[in-house]
Amino acid sequence: MNGKQYYLDIFKVSESQLKTLTDTALSHGGDFSDLYFEHTTFFNLLLKDGVVSSGGFHTDFGVGIRVLKGEKTGYAYSENTEMSDMLQAAKAASAIAIGTCGAREYMSVNDRVHDLYPVQRNWRDCSAETFLPFLKDLEKEIFSRDPRIIKVIARMSDSVSDVMMFNSLGELTCDTRPMGSVTATAVFQQNGKTENKTASRSFRIGAEFISKDLVMELADEVVRGIDERFEATRPKGGQMAVVMGAGASGILLHEAMGHAFEADFNRKGQSIFSDKMGQRVCPKGVNVVDDGTVAFNRGSGNYDDEGVPAQKTYMVEDGVLCSYLHDRISASWYGVPSTGNGRRENFRYNPIPRMRATYMESGSADPQGIIADVRQGIYVDEFSNGQVKIGEGDFTFFVKSGFLIENGRLTAPVKDINIIGNGPQALADIVAVGNDLKIDNGTWTCGKEQSVPVSCGMPTVLISSLTVGGE
Amino acid sequence: MISNNEIHIAKFCIESALRQGASAARASLTKSIIDSSMMLNGELDKVTHSADRSIYLYIYADGRYGTFSTNRLVENELEDFIRKAIEMVKMLGEDECRRLPDAERTAADAQTGQELDLYDRCIRDSSSTGRLERSRQLSRYGTLSTGSDEDGFICMPGETPAFRLISEECEYTESLEDNYVCDSQGFEGRHTETSFSAFSEMTIEDKDGNKYSGFWWEATPKFSELDLSECSGKALEKAVRQIGPRPRRGGRYRMVVDCNAASRLVSPLFTALNASSIQQKMSFLDDSVGKRIFPKGFTIMDMARTVGKAGSRLFDTEGVATRDCPIIEDGVVKQYFVNTYMAGKMGLEPTIEDISRPCILPYLEGEALPLAEKGLSLEGILKHCGNGILVTGFNGGNCNPATGDFSFGVEGFAFSRGRVTHPVREMLITGNMIELWNNLIAAGTDARSSARWQIPSLAFEGVSFSA
Repeated sequence: MNGKQYYLDIFKVSESQLKTLTDTALSHGGDFSDLYFEHTTFFNLLLKDGVVSSGGFHTDFGVGIRVLKGEKTGYAYSENTEMSDMLQAAKAASAIAIGTCGAREYMSVNDRVHDLYPVQRNWRDCSAETFLPFLKDLEKEIFSRDPRIIKVIARMSDSVSDVMMFNSLGELTCDTRPMGSVTATAVFQQNGKTENKTASRSFRIGAEFISKDLVMELADEVVRGIDERFEATRPKGGQMAVVMGAGASGILLHEAMGHAFEADFNRKGQSIFSDKMGQRVCPKGVNVVDDGTVAFNRGSGNYDDEGVPAQKTYMVEDGVLCSYLHDRISASWYGVPSTGNGRRENFRYNPIPRMRATYMESGSADPQGIIADVRQGIYVDEFSNGQVKIGEGDFTFFVKSGFLIENGRLTAPVKDINIIGNGPQALADIVAVGNDLKIDNGTWTCGKEQSVPVSCGMPTVLISSLTVGGE
Repeated sequence: MISNNEIHIAKFCIESALRQGASAARASLTKSIIDSSMMLNGELDKVTHSADRSIYLYIYADGRYGTFSTNRLVENELEDFIRKAIEMVKMLGEDECRRLPDAERTAADAQTGQELDLYDRCIRDSSSTGRLERSRQLSRYGTLSTGSDEDGFICMPGETPAFRLISEECEYTESLEDNYVCDSQGFEGRHTETSFSAFSEMTIEDKDGNKYSGFWWEATPKFSELDLSECSGKALEKAVRQIGPRPRRGGRYRMVVDCNAASRLVSPLFTALNASSIQQKMSFLDDSVGKRIFPKGFTIMDMARTVGKAGSRLFDTEGVATRDCPIIEDGVVKQYFVNTYMAGKMGLEPTIEDISRPCILPYLEGEALPLAEKGLSLEGILKHCGNGILVTGFNGGNCNPATGDFSFGVEGFAFSRGRVTHPVREMLITGNMIELWNNLIAAGTDARSSARWQIPSLAFEGVSFSA
C-alpha cells in the first residue's frame, strides 16, 4: 500500500491545506465536513467480429467537499485541486449551515487497516498490447466449444482509483482501488432460432486477473446450458414455490431486503422495515450479511467512501433484524457506529448508504434434498436485473434461465420470466437454506441514485411462494 | 457556457491528434452546471452544486479507432494524453469501416447552440436563495401536517381513505449543458440546453401500517413554463390512490398503460431497430425495413428538430444532421438507426445513430387518428376499452433483445366499464413485443408536452397477466 505522501503528491495538496479546506467548509457552523479526492484511470477494449477494433482510456480527477449540519448535506466539487477552486467549492458546500438549526456529533472511527486487494501487477503499467492476445484467445476458445456459435463479443475493462479522504475530525485515509472486469457474450443459432449467453467476472484485483484460467472459466460458462436455452419455454404463470440456486440468486437479498435495510430509507421512515429493528424477519437460523471485507471482491473496499474501515455487517442474525446499513449521517442519527456503508459513484456525488457484498450464510440443508422436497415449482439460477419499491416492499428480479420442478425433479427448462414478491413476506416464506453458499463474481452494479459495484451470493434456498410471470 | 478558450482547446486536440499521427479525429467538449435544492419534510435537507467540464476524443489512425476522455483540460497534459491515445489506437485491430461520417451529412445549422431555442438566459441570474425558495414552494408538508388529526391521520376530500404522511421529499434543480463538437473535416456543431425541473415523492401509511409511495416530476427548458404548484399534490394523489390493493386473478386482460409509464414498452423497439443490435444478431426486428411488422395505421415519428422542446437536437454524436422523419409509418418499418461504422459493416445507407424525440401518432383500432380531429385522453381510452387493467408503473423486468420476449412487473388499477375500480399490485405481464404491438387498440393524444419522448397512453388487447 502507498503512504500518504503518494496521495498528497497526486492531488498536489498539503496537510495544512486540507485543514484550511475543512475549516472553510465549517465556517457557517456545520457540524462535520469531509474532502474526497479521486484520481481514476479507466481502460477498455472491445472485440467484435474477430477484431479488437475499439478501445480507449479515460481519466477523471477532482475533489468533492461535503458539509453536514444535523442530517442536512451541502455538497460541491471541483475538477481540479487549485486551492482557489477548492475553497470556492468549500464555501458553496458550507452554505447548508446558514440559518439551519440542530446539531449532531460525528464521531471518530477506529483505524483498523485492511489490505483486501494487494496487486501483483498494476493495470497502469500495462498497455493494450498486453491484453489483445487474451481477448483473441477468449474468442477462439468460445468458438471452439460449440458449432452453433455465430458471434462472440468480448470486452475487458480495468480501472484504478487513487482516493484520499480527510475530514474535520482530522482523519486522513487513503486507498488505491483496482478493478478488473471481463464479459463474454456468444450468439448461437439453431434451426433459425437465435439465443445468446453472457458470462462475466469482476474483481478488485491487478492485471494478474487476465489469465488462461479466466479464458477457460468464461468459455465454460458461456456455453453451459445453451441446449436448455433453445428448448426453454415460459411456464404457466402464477404463485408457486421457487428454489433459488446457489450464487447469483443473491439478487433476491439485494432487492428484497438489502435496499430496505439501507439506513437512509429507515431514518426517513420510508422503508417497509423501518419499525422492525430487533424483530424476527426471517425464520430462525437465517443469517444475512453485507460484507465489505471479502478479499478481492468487487463490492469490497479497505475503507468506505467516508474513510470508515471495511466491516462485515450482520443485518439478520438467527432470523432477527439486528442492523441497518449505515453511513456517517444515519449512524449519528441512530447513535450507533457507522457500518462502513457510505459509498459514492465518484467525487461528484455525496456518499449514501449502499450495499457491498450481500449474501446469506450457509444453512444445513442438502441442495438436492431441497429440490426433491418441491412437488411443483420452479428452480432459477441465472438472472439479469432487479428492482424494489422501498415503502411497499415489492421487489422483482428477471430470470434468464431455470427449470420447472415437478415431483421433486428438475424437468422442462424455462427462460425470460420476471418474478415478483413482497420483501417481508418472501423472507418469512424461506423454508430451507442449503449448505452451499456461493458468491457470484459477475459484474453486478447497483443503481440507487448513483452506480456502485456490488456483489451478491446465496446458498440454495427454497421460498414457499412467489409470483412467477408466464403465459 | 463554453468559452472561446475551451473551443480553442477542442480544436487544439484535433490539431494535436493529426500532428501526432491520427488520420482523422473528432472532439466533443461538454460543460455542465447543475444546482439542486432538496427539502425533506418541509425543511432544507441537501444543497448541491455541480460544475463539470470534460472532453471526449474519437481518434482514427492507420484504419484503427479508439475513444478517450479526460477532465484535465490543460494543453501540455492533453498533448501527452493524445500521444498515448494514438499509441494505443495503433495497437488495435484494423477495421476499414471506422471513419468519420461524410462531411455533407453533418449538420451545418448548429452554429450557436441556441437554434432550437432550448436555452433560457434567465439561468444566468439564478441564485441559491431563489432555488431554495422554489424548493420550499414545492413542499406541502406544513399544510398537510396541520390538517391531520391527533393521531397524525389525514383525510382528503372525496372518498379516499385516511392516511399518515411518512415523508415528503421535494427537489428543485436547474441545469445548463453546453456541448461543442468539432472534427478534422471542419465540422463544428453546438448544442446548448437549460433545464428547470421539480420532483416530489410522498410516502404515506394507511391505518393498517401499509406504506405507499408516489412521485411526480415537471421539467422544461424554459423557467417560465415550469409549474411548481401541482407537483407535490400529484405525487400525493398517486400514493393515496394505491391504498387498499386487492388481488386480481391472473389471466388475459385488456391493458391500458398510462402515458407516464408507456415509454417502457417503446424502448425495446428502438433497441431492436439499432443497426448494431441487428449486426450482432441481437434484434427481433432483423430484416424488417420496408415490411409491415406493426398494425396498419400505427406510426412513430422522430421529431428531432422541434423548436423549444426537450429532446430535440440538430446533430447526433457523430455530428450527423438529424431530420424529422417516420421510423415506423402505417405499420411499416421505415428505417434502422445506422451510424457511419455500421453502414460500412452492413453495406447499408447511414441514417442517424439513435432516435432523438420519438412521437407516437394517435391511433384507434386499426386506424390512424388525425391529430386535429379529436383528442384521445386516458379517460377516453379507458372508456373505449371498458374492462381491464390500467398500468401506471413498471417494477423491474426485461425484454430479450433477440426474440422480443418480455416479462415486466406492473402496478396499477383494475377498471370496469371505463372506470377505475381498485388498485392492484404484485402482478406481472408476459408476452412478445411484436405480438403485443400487433394487439394495439389505441394510442392517445395525451403525451406530456414536457417529456423528451412523446409517448401517449396506450391500450393493448389480450395481455397475459400473472398474479
